[in-house]
Parts: sequence; structure tokens; C-alpha cells
Amino acid sequence: MNGLGALTDASGHLAGRPLEEWNAAYEKVENYFHALRVRNKVLLGQLVLRVLERAAARASAEPTRSATQLAAEEMDRLVTDWFSEVLQTSPLGSDQTLSTRGRLALLLADMPGRWQGQFLRPGPWPEEFVSAMRDSFLRAGPDFQLSKMTPRPFDLGPIATLTHLGRIPYLRMILAWASFALLLIGVFWLTHGGFAQVMNWFTRFYR
Amino acid sequence: MIAAPAPRFRRGWRLFLFYTSAVLLTGAVSWLFADLLWRTGWSASRTMLLALFTILFLFIALGCMHGVYGFFLRRFGTPWRITILKEFRNRDIAATSTAVVFPIYNEDAVRVYEGLRATYESLEKTGQLERFDFFILSDSTNPDKQAEEERRWCDLARELDALGRIYYRRRLANEGRKSGNVRDFLNAWGRRYRYFMVCDADSVMRGETLVDLVKLMEVHPTAGMIQTVPAVVNAESWFGRMQQFANRLYAPVFIAGLNYWALDHGNYWGHNALIRTEPFMQFCDLPQLPGRKPFGGQILSHDFVEAALMLRENREVWFAYDLEGSYEEVPQGMIENAQRERRWCQGNLQHGLVLFARGLRGASRLHLLLGISGYLAGPLWLAFLLTYNWIRWFQTYTGLSDIPPVHAYTRYLNLSGTAHALLIFVICMVVIMLPKVLALIELGYDPRRRRAFGGLRCATVSVVAETIFSTLHAPLLMLWHTRFVITNLLGVSVGWSPQVRDADGTAWSYAVRRHWGHTLIGLVWGWFMWQLGPSLFWWFTPVLAGMVCSIPLSVFTSRRSLGARARKFSLFLTPEEIAPPPELVALRANMKVHELTEDTSPRHPYAGLAEMVLDPYVNAIHVTLLREKQLNPVYVEQLVGLGAGTPKVRDLGEKLLVNGPHKLTLAERQLITSDAQTMVWLHHEAWLRPGESLAPWWRASIRVFSQRDQS
Repeated sequence: MNGLGALTDASGHLAGRPLEEWNAAYEKVENYFHALRVRNKVLLGQLVLRVLERAAARASAEPTRSATQLAAEEMDRLVTDWFSEVLQTSPLGSDQTLSTRGRLALLLADMPGRWQGQFLRPGPWPEEFVSAMRDSFLRAGPDFQLSKMTPRPFDLGPIATLTHLGRIPYLRMILAWASFALLLIGVFWLTHGGFAQVMNWFTRFYR
Repeated sequence: MIAAPAPRFRRGWRLFLFYTSAVLLTGAVSWLFADLLWRTGWSASRTMLLALFTILFLFIALGCMHGVYGFFLRRFGTPWRITILKEFRNRDIAATSTAVVFPIYNEDAVRVYEGLRATYESLEKTGQLERFDFFILSDSTNPDKQAEEERRWCDLARELDALGRIYYRRRLANEGRKSGNVRDFLNAWGRRYRYFMVCDADSVMRGETLVDLVKLMEVHPTAGMIQTVPAVVNAESWFGRMQQFANRLYAPVFIAGLNYWALDHGNYWGHNALIRTEPFMQFCDLPQLPGRKPFGGQILSHDFVEAALMLRENREVWFAYDLEGSYEEVPQGMIENAQRERRWCQGNLQHGLVLFARGLRGASRLHLLLGISGYLAGPLWLAFLLTYNWIRWFQTYTGLSDIPPVHAYTRYLNLSGTAHALLIFVICMVVIMLPKVLALIELGYDPRRRRAFGGLRCATVSVVAETIFSTLHAPLLMLWHTRFVITNLLGVSVGWSPQVRDADGTAWSYAVRRHWGHTLIGLVWGWFMWQLGPSLFWWFTPVLAGMVCSIPLSVFTSRRSLGARARKFSLFLTPEEIAPPPELVALRANMKVHELTEDTSPRHPYAGLAEMVLDPYVNAIHVTLLREKQLNPVYVEQLVGLGAGTPKVRDLGEKLLVNGPHKLTLAERQLITSDAQTMVWLHHEAWLRPGESLAPWWRASIRVFSQRDQS
């Protein structure tokens, strides 16, 4: 904090920029640390000011860039360099992978819950924290054992051809039921006038 | 008691006896009905009426026989259950590996994950956890859901210390819907697991039950599938609690009856079933059906067909109907229930094409046929009622009187026309109600179950109330099913607007939108019946009342407050309500914690996309999962097909930052979220760029996001 205070001039500007500009930069950095679930307010304030100090140090050399831009870049650099140190991975050429891996490691090592004090702190770090960060992994599944299911031949049968009715299973049972139905119809007809008709027919026949 | 597996002839005889009982009953009553029609003078419309009556009566006779056979089997016991055919409890499962998979599609992630947690923790207590892996198989297309699923998965796995045991995989292309989702899993990891258990989004399994299922599979090497009978639980509304009560009281009797004739030729209902992986992968990939939609193409209701394919290859499919600890949930309102019925209707009608496929077992055809008949019964019943109305109208307006009986049996029975009709009506009612009565009698014989339902008096009152509601609900199902069948046959897709619910259940406005047609039909039909004669009108009141009162019926029965009040009066009590098992206690407690601690207000548009880009952890999880897809050639091909990794995606990303997500199509947003590099770049740019160079939507999202994390 003293570092930033030393950069304040008589007009109230900080590193040659109005305070409003630094306020916006502060907000930007603070928002990102909030997103990383750094909830301890003292730590949060310290981290934001550390970033702003680095941005302020660049401000006079880069007058065309806003304080917010400088602070955002410094925040990114600070975080990436720290990931590189903790995870022992070179940041060169693999920034994106490192950033993703680092953020995932923070989550899986439970930085927001257990290790807030270690976040962005220079080493050495507790062994448990380091191993939790380095050993973290996330996978959608175990190792693939690829195969390919393929449908077996499927003949829709009578629906397609309406033939081979003889192959319908339980045909005998269905035939038995059909006979039963015919019997019902037959007896019904006979007892509802059919019998009289038959008798009439026989009578006429034998006459 | 240990018995040998059922010989084939025994199953054949059982099947013959069972279905012949239904056919005999149908024949006798249809004969009586034909006699009634005869005495009023035969006509073409009466022939049609008789045909419809015979078919409809066969359906209810089959239901009745399931109840009757099931009742006797439960009363006097049967050795023909997979759970007692062989000793299995002492079987060692150390050499087995089982995947428990949860295929999901834009579901409520909280409920899915808490169900998984309850199952996982229950399994952990058995000491057999290391034999099982869990997979959340997401097909979600909504980026909001995707972000939530990924975040919650990581949280859950960390909380349970189960990274490497609970996995999450999201597909890039949703080919084949749920069955395609499961196939994708099998193609990637199936060979690692001897068995897999398919769970629904609302499934919960007791750990012991899962272990028992694996043991059963181990002692029955020819079993391909073992289907549990899930108990409906966690219902809160009046409607849901009634369905739950009916499921818990009647289903054991019905399923015992079903198992009587099915034995090792059972069925698969799509979830809460353990499946032997190797034969499933070998035999059960679904063919594409010839022709156009709605019947051609992909098989929608895959479960019945998969069971049929398994049986075709001489593998057994069993119902483990006496194995407890398998749970599911039901819709809480009539409209939600109808929405589910609509999906199932199309799938079941499609089975008509498969019904006569060569090589299928007769039992499989019966399962398919019973499924189809469940949806055809509605339109057939409506046709029956309309035909009867036509006959009465014709008689009334032509002035023709009934022809006096000449050769009808009624002269031997000494029945008047009204008494004759009443006799048939009473028989129909007995056939419909008998299974319910038998379930109640069976409850009376079992003191433990009786107590679990709150006593016989409570159960009896609940059965009466449930029967009254079913009577009112049945005509609505008839109209709905008729509509679903007709629209499906015509190939018309009927879109339903999303369910609108207030705090307590279905909103009145939504109920009016969904039921005004039913009410109108009821009123017009009622007026028409009144014109035909007041006595006829009164006979039809049960049918008409359901239609006319459909709006308030739908709203009130969806009310959770009324469900709670019914519970206060000991109505519709179930064993899981009176003495909830530990896994359900845990589930409810965890759901309550979510309810009390999480913001349940509607999220702002594209909130999931904002989370995926802005949240450093969600972004990291999402990108890590995308990168892992590069290890599977199938996913690589799909990524290439989508266009991931091309310069176009970066351009779309720039457009997303500068113009906001509403300027992109859903496909463009999906493409962006499928590209790992672009997602990392977006995270970087969204946080590092000055606010002025971002779309106002991003500035607002960052503000919301920051406030969220501060709170």
C-alpha cells in the first residue's frame, strides 16, 4: 500500500492517472479474485493492491493504455507465473493449458476453502498444498475401451410381407381361441333362430 | 426354497392358462352383451358396438386376471421368482464391475445429483463401492443446464471424494436420444463393465439392492436383464400421492400376476434394471425401422424392443419384483402426466411394426401388444361410446322402438332390458374393481404391510378416494390418448408449451389452456345426452363429470397443500411415507438444504453461457472435459463435423464478446461452447478487455457474477 501511496502526486493523480481510472482497475481485479472465490477481505485487498502496484509501475511507460488494461494484464501475468511455479510447468507456449490446469487445480485442491492464504503467495508452500495442486486431475471417464455396437439383422416379418403366418408363435393357441369364438357365434346363432331355420330346412328336405 | 429354472413347457402352460382365462371371461360376457343387442334388433352399428365391447372387455379382463393370479400367488406363495430360484446372498462379487449410468437430458440437475448421491452413499455402506462406477451421461442441449451439470458434478465428486468413481460425460450429438446415449457410453466404456444399471433422472437405488442384483446376475449366468419394480416415492401433490399410493398397493399384485406368465421372459422398462453388458452390446443394438415417421426411423421406446432382442438370443429377462429399494418419481399433475403419456404413446404405437418381427419370442410379442393396447384403449372406448350414442340417437329420432325379444336368453334369465344392461354393467365394474379389492384383501392378510399403509381402514378409504378420482380422470385420459394416437398416426407433431406452475401446482391459466377443449366436449356431449333422455344422461355423468370439471380437477389435484392435507387425514399413505428408508431420508434432507440455501429465482437469459465463460472454475472444468474428448476418435469426428477448431469459431467468439449472445444462433453458441481453445480465449478476453469493448450484456453479467460471489 505504501508503494502505491508513494506514486500519488500533488494533483491527487496516481502514477499520472486520475483516481477514477484506478478505481475502475481496482474493481476489475477485485471482481476476478472474487470469481476465484478469494473471500478473505484482507487478503483480497492485499492481492488487488499488489496487482495495481505492478500496473502503476508500467503506467508512465505506457501512457496510451488505460489503468484497467494494465491491471488486467498484470493480474493475468501474476496468476499465470504463480501457476507455473506451483505446478512446475513452463508458462511459455502453453499459457492456455496452464491457465486451465491451474484454475482446475485450485478448485480440486480446495484453495477457496482450505488454502486461501497460499494463493499467489511466493513459495515455499506447504507440502500438502503443493501435492494437492500437482496431483489434481479431472476425467469424464476411465480409459476408453472403444468398441462399436451394430444392429443384428432384423426381419420385420409379416408386417413387411404379410406372409408366413404359419410361423406365428402360439398359432395353435390362437386357433383354439378362434375355434372358441366360432363356437360361441355358432351356438348364439342356433339359439337365436338359427336352430328353427335348420329344423325348417330338415323338415323341407325330408318331405 | 431352491428350485430349478422353469422348463419351457411350464411357461407355455402358464401362458395358455392365463390368457385363456381372460379369453373365456371375455367370451362369456361378450355373449351376454350380444344377447342384449339382439333383443333390441340387430344392425351394422350394433355389430360394431359388439366388436368394440369385446376388444375393450378383453383389455380389462387381462388386467383383472393379472390381479387375480397375482393375488393367489402372493397369498399362497410361488417358487418361481428369480430371488428364490437359487441361493444368491452369499455370492462373492469381488470379480465383478458394474456401471451405474444416469442418462439425462436438460433435467433438474439438483434432483439428479442428489438421487445419485443417495444411491452412492447407500452403496458405500455395503462395503462394495469399489465394484461400481457412476456415470452421468448428459445429452443436455441447453448451455445453462450444461454449465450447471458440470459445476455440480465437480462439487458432488469432491464432496464425496469420488473423483475417479463418479464421472460426467456430455455428448456432442444427440443421435438416438436416450438409447443412443447409452450406446455411446457402451461404445466408449462398455467393455470395462460386466453389468450396467440404467437409472432415470429421478431414480434412487438402495445399495443393498444394487449388490443383490449383481449377485443375482452372477448366480444366473443366462440372465440378460433383471428389472426391478420401482416404488413411486416423494410425491407431494394430491395427484402424485394418489398415483404413488396406487403404485404401492396395486403394483405388487399386478406384477406377481405378470411374473406368473412371463417368468424368465419378462420385460425391461428402461430404467432401474441391471443389464449384462456383453450380450446387450452384441444383440441389442436397435435397428432403424423402414418408412417415414412416426413409425419409421429410430425406435423411440427402446426398452421393450431391447428386452425382446435379448430374449431372441436365448437370454433370460426377469422381474425381480420382490426386491425392495428401487425408487422412482411420478408427475405431480394431470397435465405433466399427459405430457409423459404423449411421449410413450408414440413409442408404443411404433411397436406395431416390431410386433411380427421374425425370431421374437411369443412373450415379447405379448409385452409389446399389451403396451400398444394401453394406448389404443382410449380411442376404442371413445368409439364405443360414440357408436352407442349413434344407436340411441337413431332410435330416438327415427321413432323406431326396440324390437321385442324373440330368441334372446333373457327370457330364460327372466331379465328386463334394463336389468340385462345393468347385469353387464355390474360385471364390467366387478372386473375393473376386482384387482383393487384383491389388493386390499391381500393387505388385510399381511399385518406388516397393513401397518405400512397406515392400517386397513386408512387404505380402504384411500382406495375409495383413488377410485373416484380414477373414474373422473379416465375420460380425460381417453380424450388425450385419442388425440395422441390420431396425431401420431397422421404424423403431426403436437408441441406443448412449457408447463406453467405457481408455487403450489398447476396455474389456473395453464389449466384453462390445456383443458378448455375437454370442458367444451363434456358440456356439448352432456347437452346431447340430455336431449336423448335424462335417464341416459345420468348413466353418462361419471364420464361427463370428469370432462366438465377437468380444469378445477387438474388444478386442485396438482396442489401440494392438498396433498399435505390428505396426508394429515391419513389418506394415500405409503410405506415410504410412514417409515422412509435411509436413502430417501438422505435425499429429502439434501433437497431441502438446496431449497433453503440456493437462489431459485429464474436465471437471466444465457446465464449458463456466462457461467461457462466467466467462472474460472466452471470454464476450467468445461475446457478439461472438451480436451479429453480428443482421445476418442468418435468425438474427434463429431467435433470436426461441428466445425470446432476452425478460424470461424474464433470469429464467432469475437462476435459473442462484441455483440452479446443474443446476436448468435443457438447452433453458433453451441459451436463456441464445443471449442476448447475458444472457451479459454473467451475467459481470458472477457476478464481482461476493458468494459467499453465488451457488449453491455457482458458488463452486466460480470457485475451479476461478481455480486453473486460476494454474496
